[in-house]
Amino acid sequence: MGKLVLLDTLSKHVGPVWNVAWHPKGDALATCGEDKTVRIWAKQGNKWINKVVLSDAHKRTIRSVAWSPCGNYLASASFDATVAIWDRKTGEFECNTTLEGHENEVKSVAWSRSGHLLATCSRDKSVWVWEVADEDEYECAAVLNAHTQDVKKVVWHPEIDLLASASYDNTIKLFREDLSDNDWICLETLESHDSTVWSLAFDKTGRRLASCSDDTTVKIWKEYPPNNPEGIPTTDNESTWKCVCTLSGYHTRTVYDISWCHLSGLIATACGDDIIRIFKEEETSDSNAPTFNCVSSTERSHTQDVNSVAWNPVTPGFLASCSDDGSVKLWNYTD
Amino acid sequence: MSGFSGVLQLTDLDDFITPSQECIKPVKIEKSSAGTGAKISIQEDGSYYQIEEDGHRQQLQKVEITLSDCLACSGCITSAETVLVTQQSQEELLRVLNENKKLRSDGNESEAKFIIISVSVQPLLSLAVRYNITPDEAAERLAGYFKHLGADMVVDMAVAENFALLETRKEFVRRYLSSTNDGVKNALPMLASSCPGWVCYAEKTHGNFILPFISVTKSPQQIMGSLVKDWVLKNLGVRSVYHVTVMPCYDKKLEAAREDFFDKAAESRDVDCVITAIEIEQMLQTSGIELHQVEKAMYSEPWKKDFDAISPSIKRHIGSGSGGYADHIFHYAAKELFAIEDHEIAYKNLRNPDFREVILEKDGKILLRFAIANGFRNIQNLVQKLKRGKCQYHYVEVMACPSGCLNGGAQVRPREDKTLKELTAQLEHVYESLPVEVPDESKVTQELYKTWLQGNESDKASSILHTNYHAVEKLNTALNIKW
Repeated sequence: MGKLVLLDTLSKHVGPVWNVAWHPKGDALATCGEDKTVRIWAKQGNKWINKVVLSDAHKRTIRSVAWSPCGNYLASASFDATVAIWDRKTGEFECNTTLEGHENEVKSVAWSRSGHLLATCSRDKSVWVWEVADEDEYECAAVLNAHTQDVKKVVWHPEIDLLASASYDNTIKLFREDLSDNDWICLETLESHDSTVWSLAFDKTGRRLASCSDDTTVKIWKEYPPNNPEGIPTTDNESTWKCVCTLSGYHTRTVYDISWCHLSGLIATACGDDIIRIFKEEETSDSNAPTFNCVSSTERSHTQDVNSVAWNPVTPGFLASCSDDGSVKLWNYTD
Repeated sequence: MSGFSGVLQLTDLDDFITPSQECIKPVKIEKSSAGTGAKISIQEDGSYYQIEEDGHRQQLQKVEITLSDCLACSGCITSAETVLVTQQSQEELLRVLNENKKLRSDGNESEAKFIIISVSVQPLLSLAVRYNITPDEAAERLAGYFKHLGADMVVDMAVAENFALLETRKEFVRRYLSSTNDGVKNALPMLASSCPGWVCYAEKTHGNFILPFISVTKSPQQIMGSLVKDWVLKNLGVRSVYHVTVMPCYDKKLEAAREDFFDKAAESRDVDCVITAIEIEQMLQTSGIELHQVEKAMYSEPWKKDFDAISPSIKRHIGSGSGGYADHIFHYAAKELFAIEDHEIAYKNLRNPDFREVILEKDGKILLRFAIANGFRNIQNLVQKLKRGKCQYHYVEVMACPSGCLNGGAQVRPREDKTLKELTAQLEHVYESLPVEVPDESKVTQELYKTWLQGNESDKASSILHTNYHAVEKLNTALNIKW
């Protein structure tokens, strides 16, 4: 069994903290919450301190934050139906663009690998793709109404412009641009969860996707491209995705978030039972039916629901989490 | 984990609440008696009975949401399909037709309605392609089908499309001059008004910010409605007309249901029922009929003095398959405002093929900048540009469906061997190959301006051919509160 050691507790937010996001360089952490602020934390000496507070851009809870791959922009998604884009061209963080269009609460925001595309999703059941046009100009490239209920999360493939979304309709959907007419299409609907799918995470290669749900399970999905050696049938020269592993019996409540470390391959989950769990794949396991073991389960990681977890992109084993209890915590995992 | 479940934590998070946007329109219930002590019992079929203390049972009236309620509500953008089904469906149409037949067979001719069906070009092409016949033949067969069902006349909506084009182009020049000469604000860009999906979205979501830009000219469907209910009815000397339009999308049903198009005095809608290509296909399938086997019949022109029956000759307007607004106004404005005639129109695709622009240039100066924006994503970009004050267009033909009206939401779906894209391309090709209708050369339209509307610029023409838009106030009822 591994060990998850608490390094620091960051308490500045008032009320639930909804999301944590590491800067791509790994040296800063953005957090957001019900207090309508985005806070940016960085290390000073041995302590992580709250360097910046971004307020006044949103009228309601901020549900999600995301750094652009270049690290120069930060997007925040709010229940006020807008997404704010912050940059630091003047040295200070400023909100220079607000994306409007969603009818109600925006639940998640994510930048594509290239930084040219931004995805958002909302309680209005739609997923939007925005194209970064000119300076501070964002054009709507697609409004995808594939889901039948609230969409909780959007995540991009780590290498290509493939988008995955998770919804209250219990499904995960995959989208890609149809280059013949620049329209976005739903490639596939992944069905297996029995309740709301709350979050998603691709592995380093993007050929596997992990999902977590209100049904208390975590599922691992694998891509089978056309002409795959396993002989899994595909249609229209498109990959097919299959659920190859279900982790059940570990979580006792809704699993709200999942993070798949691209350095160590470890999976961390944030759960409504206040526990952060770490899963490790058995090295010898069959890729078509992999085995993941729970290597760490930290009781009372927080005193209330754990809402979000994120592995640091630079330092292996370095994890951030946040909770309804108002705190942000930093952890180190060792085998 | 707190002691309460997430649902009960009273904060402004509603991540946990069922997100489905159920209908939130509060309905006023007329109560007759104010007695207490009655019980309500629910029957197996879902009906409600009120049982008084004396045992008397009374069935309670079901609350019904009408299309007009939907339009007046800020709850959701598109109305529930069930509402459409009850009020403007093939069942409703068949019910009216059968009732009428019965009145006539029972000798109650005086109580029967005169039934007129107006057919627009897009659904006709959709059916022509579906049954693999020419557009003219499709029109003859469709006329035969409707007459077989009991319709009295089937008419071509092109006359109303002509009016819409002639009126919008005049409106554009008026707006252009008032904007450039008098500095009138919010006159430009002028945005198309013929797509009810777009108008409904604008009213509900952007309200007074966007409405001044939308052309006040009625859509062809509603001009046809006025023509039939105001002029044809008198011309024919009949007591009452039931007017059906054949259209490419369900949004047209919402448009027909607008209060603006309801004559309170006569208790009559300009368009009583809207039926779409996909519904006609279903009607034919249900009765086991193939359109190409239906006996042919003629179209009528009841707005002419001697309303003779004629063989349908389906035509198109230059430009897009949505009615050609951008092209028509562009040509007219180039001529009227800058004395440039027959300027070639070459569209340039912007971010995607559904956002195209065309400019009129002289000596390196851009005189006119027009665009066609189809589909929701492009409507978004257009609205955001307007909001940021970065919209340089003079006119934008806005349609809610990608590819415009030929790909309307209620056109016949592609069959298995074809994609939607291929079908749309085929419809565009068929549309392009139709002979051209030139509104300026339409004698019927000019005649109607004189006889029906008392002149091109008369008050009557203005009041009959134009309409208004209304911002929908956001509802603030208890039902809409988000915990």
